[in-house]
Amino acid sequence: MINFEKVFKRYPGNMDALQNINLEILPAELVFVTGPSGAGKSTLLKLISSVEKPTSGDIVFENMNLSQLHASDIPYLRRKFGMIFQDNKLLYDRNCFENVSLPLAINDIDGIDINRRVRAALDKVGLLNKEKIMPISLSGGEQQRLAIARAIVSRPSILIADEPTGNLDKEYADEIMNIFYSFQQVGVTVIISTHELPITPIKFKKIHLIDGELKDQINNVQLLS
Amino acid sequence: MFNYFHNHIQALNRALVRVFSNLGSSLMMFIVIGVTLFLPSSGLLIVENVSQISNSIAYDAELSLFLKKSIKQDQIDFIQSALDKTLIIKKTHFESKLTAWDKLQSKLNLNPLDSGISENPLPDAFFISLNTFNEKEINTLISNLKIIDGVENIFFDAGWVKKLRSILYLFKIGLLLLGIILIIILIVVIGNTIRLQTLTHKDEIEVSKLIGATNSFIQRPFMYTGLIYGLGGGLITICTLKLTIEIFNKASINLEAMLGGTFILKSLLWQQNLSIIIIAMLIGCFASFFAAQQSIRKFEIFK
Repeated sequence: MINFEKVFKRYPGNMDALQNINLEILPAELVFVTGPSGAGKSTLLKLISSVEKPTSGDIVFENMNLSQLHASDIPYLRRKFGMIFQDNKLLYDRNCFENVSLPLAINDIDGIDINRRVRAALDKVGLLNKEKIMPISLSGGEQQRLAIARAIVSRPSILIADEPTGNLDKEYADEIMNIFYSFQQVGVTVIISTHELPITPIKFKKIHLIDGELKDQINNVQLLS
Repeated sequence: MFNYFHNHIQALNRALVRVFSNLGSSLMMFIVIGVTLFLPSSGLLIVENVSQISNSIAYDAELSLFLKKSIKQDQIDFIQSALDKTLIIKKTHFESKLTAWDKLQSKLNLNPLDSGISENPLPDAFFISLNTFNEKEINTLISNLKIIDGVENIFFDAGWVKKLRSILYLFKIGLLLLGIILIIILIVVIGNTIRLQTLTHKDEIEVSKLIGATNSFIQRPFMYTGLIYGLGGGLITICTLKLTIEIFNKASINLEAMLGGTFILKSLLWQQNLSIIIIAMLIGCFASFFAAQQSIRKFEIFK
């Protein structure tokens, strides 16, 4: 599904953020990208979602080479991903319903469908009763769940989450992780960057980065409490 | 196709929400556009009204055809019939030298004996009203009349109309230049307002880009905002023009007795009013398109 071949990423004036990355992500996999701060986890996720372009090497997604993608094709590619950010990037001048409906408006989905799908997404993350509330009045965990609802509402085949539980306490973090697991169970590819591996009931792939280099790529890991 | 229109309706909705949620600043924007466009529009109103007057004068312009004193009646009849056959002549009026002399004497209270004038100094004359203002046609007519035996002199008494028309033409060029300068000012003002709006919506633009919005999708509400500004400004211009006409005409009627006549301003045609609104909307759309495009490019996250 996603293949990295000899991928390098260098930011202007910096060392290589990623060096010679070769990896493969299969459909419906749960992938954890781990490593300390500055290891290149976020850069790796940004390369997958075409927020950044590799300095060299190829990233192939569904037979498209993302490194050669034309700028005008990028919005259409991004619609295939559901993206969740550590700072959740919610729009605080819009209520929960309006935040979640934004990807549907971008995808040209009409009004009746929007209502149905937004409510289904909010229901999935347990926020159906808060659709009219402004995000500022939600707790940290609820805000992150709202960001997940926005990411899943357009039914993407890949969910990409950049340290989604980084700012949350353990109880909220487990809650969020369980939501991700439930999506993986129904065939969605879930890619999560994290400092530490959570304890998870299902098998996953671990991609471990240190100083921009791929140190480990282990399949079928399972950590049980 | 349905999605395309749906998308535009959504963008228009978002633009309306933006305009009405900042009603104070939106009204200020309407007034700025309205007043700026009022200047060239009022100039157009004056030009249109003066043009109408000059056009009506042009049809009353006359050729004065003075005949030789020695002319005989059969020659006069020949000239009369020649004039009657000419298409660009609306009507002719023959004034014999005797009639003209009588009129002059009664007008000036002259007595030939007192004034020492022994004989009638005036010639027979034709006064010709033309139904054209085409210079080429008039010149051809004059040169044709000059060669007729018995014709002494021809005067085309419309030089001042020409001058008026030249002044109006210069005024129109001046208005055009003023209009262009004011349009540039409007583009800068609207563009700057839209640029500030893109900064206000920076988060929304960035998030929209991250989740797959195209630049045109993001730009669209800003363009509709510019269109709405233009519409509001255009309507203010039209209302201000109407108000000005009303006030001017009332004052003109009140001063009728003092001035001995009235000058009533006529409103612009509905097509001209519509054109002002459309021009204002196009300016708004054009300015916001470029301002939003520039700003949105700056927020590009793909590197």
